[in-house]
Amino acid sequence: MKLGKLNLPLIITLLLFGAFVVIPMGSAFEYSIRRGLEGGYGLQNYLWAVREEDFSYYLIRSTWLSAVTVLITLVILVPTLTWIHLSNSKLRELIDGLSLLPLVIPVVAFAVGAQISFPEFIQSSVMELPFLYFILALPYAYRALDIGLKAIPLKTLSEAARSAGASWLRAIVIVILPVIRSAVTATIALTFALSIGEFTMTVLLHWDTFPTWVTYVAQDNLLGAIAISMIALLVPFVLISLVALLTPEKEIKESN
Amino acid sequence: MSKENLILQSISKRFGAVHALDNFDLEVKVGELVALLGPSGCGKTTALRVVAGLERQDSGAVKLGGRDITNVPAHLRNMGMVFQAYSLFPNLSVEENVAFGLQMRKVNKRDRQKKAGELLELVGLNTQHKRFPHQLSGGQQQRVALARALAFEPEILLLDEPLSALDAQVRSNLREEIRRLQLSLGTTALFVTHDQEEAMAISDRVGVMSHGKLEQIASPDSLYNNPATEFVAGFVGVMNYIPGYQNGKSVSILGSDFKVKNSSGHQGATSALVRPESITVVAKENSSNAVVVTRSFLGASSRILCKTLDGTLIQALVPSEESSELIPGAKVQVKISANEVLVS
Repeated sequence: MKLGKLNLPLIITLLLFGAFVVIPMGSAFEYSIRRGLEGGYGLQNYLWAVREEDFSYYLIRSTWLSAVTVLITLVILVPTLTWIHLSNSKLRELIDGLSLLPLVIPVVAFAVGAQISFPEFIQSSVMELPFLYFILALPYAYRALDIGLKAIPLKTLSEAARSAGASWLRAIVIVILPVIRSAVTATIALTFALSIGEFTMTVLLHWDTFPTWVTYVAQDNLLGAIAISMIALLVPFVLISLVALLTPEKEIKESN
Repeated sequence: MSKENLILQSISKRFGAVHALDNFDLEVKVGELVALLGPSGCGKTTALRVVAGLERQDSGAVKLGGRDITNVPAHLRNMGMVFQAYSLFPNLSVEENVAFGLQMRKVNKRDRQKKAGELLELVGLNTQHKRFPHQLSGGQQQRVALARALAFEPEILLLDEPLSALDAQVRSNLREEIRRLQLSLGTTALFVTHDQEEAMAISDRVGVMSHGKLEQIASPDSLYNNPATEFVAGFVGVMNYIPGYQNGKSVSILGSDFKVKNSSGHQGATSALVRPESITVVAKENSSNAVVVTRSFLGASSRILCKTLDGTLIQALVPSEESSELIPGAKVQVKISANEVLVS
């Protein structure tokens, strides 16, 4: 009975995971390999997708924009949060609250705000998108890093690094970032996934990225569009796996 | 290694309403180990952090010899620091931790490894160089932290209660090791602790702090035998406060007269400050002036707590072989064996 009791939450979790993630994805995959009117299954939708000229163009464009968003997020948030944690500032609660605003302010408000306030030269460049994606990803990225920094003796580590001769920048890059590696990976994953799939803001600002292109494609070839989406699902997965592999946890290897 | 004296001139630092340092002055001579001793909140750690550059003072100057380093940022001060909390970088191996300061100074990898190896040998951890901090005990971690702080040959070694998280045996061993290393390397060191035994055991001089000021700085024996203030007398070692009557330069306590060390010419009731080892306790049924309350066996000596006829509690330290009759309830005669006493 003990085993049954232990397994019940796991079974419920698996069922929920199945109902909300695996079944829709499995269904989408099943749909993407249908042959349409001919009946039966095949990979022709996938072959069509990768032969499409715009496929790689928009995929690379979105990947690039998402990578820039991740960079902006890390460059802005890691030093800011480190400072907030170290200074014990009363601003912390205010900044905590502000970081949640993107969840309650409609995306359209950001888009209109950007169109009104951004100077012409920014609006004329697609590089305006990463800054806006950063705002949209802020509630998630902020919390992921916040939890990571709360979990380590940040003050002692940074002071030890500084007294040993590391500048603030080197202390953050050489000591703090590797120590909060899992929080940084989570931040990269969340920010990248949110940016590469962002649709509303992009459309409202009249830019074309991978998600908007897939929507256009779907108007002519729904099965092809689903095949493209299935391929696109792999991109964040592969990139996040690469990030995890490129920053190995030495101590875990060693203790093993 | 350091070749210049560390000088703190009129350092003041406030945290809100709290005056952590109040016109604090200190000079640490080359090759000397000075301990800052005091109760929690007396400002000793703040003083150390000001020297390290981790805390910015409101006023005053920090000098290394003739150089004013007040405005030099922490990472350029070349001060090795060992913290109270375990501060090793968890993502780096023991060797990489020790070599960290050298890496920051752009020393090449081969020299870094060589130096780290030498330091690890000095702290007895050369076989553990590939391990990671979580694989070490607390004492080993502090040894590595000490090696890391010494590896880049700092001007001053700063020790911020490095032993307080360790158990008694490791504490005692490591404090001796710190002293041995400091002497053999000739490093100037500033050591902050609230543990008087620790401070007295390994320091050349001990500075006793209270309310952000230095009450007295002197060698351990001078501090113990000639405390300058009542606070120092009470904080360093155990002190009995025995009521008596002062008559100018002499004081009458427990029926005998003694010279007053710190005579102010006062006339009237006072308290004499007497160390437990300056008190003799002899079992005497007839001419007793106190009874034994407790007897604590400490090894070579025993601590006897007595209560005099007027209710004053007095602690005495007597050789254990002479304390067999001094059991709780025994009638005893308490005497003071010193010639001079301090009065409060």
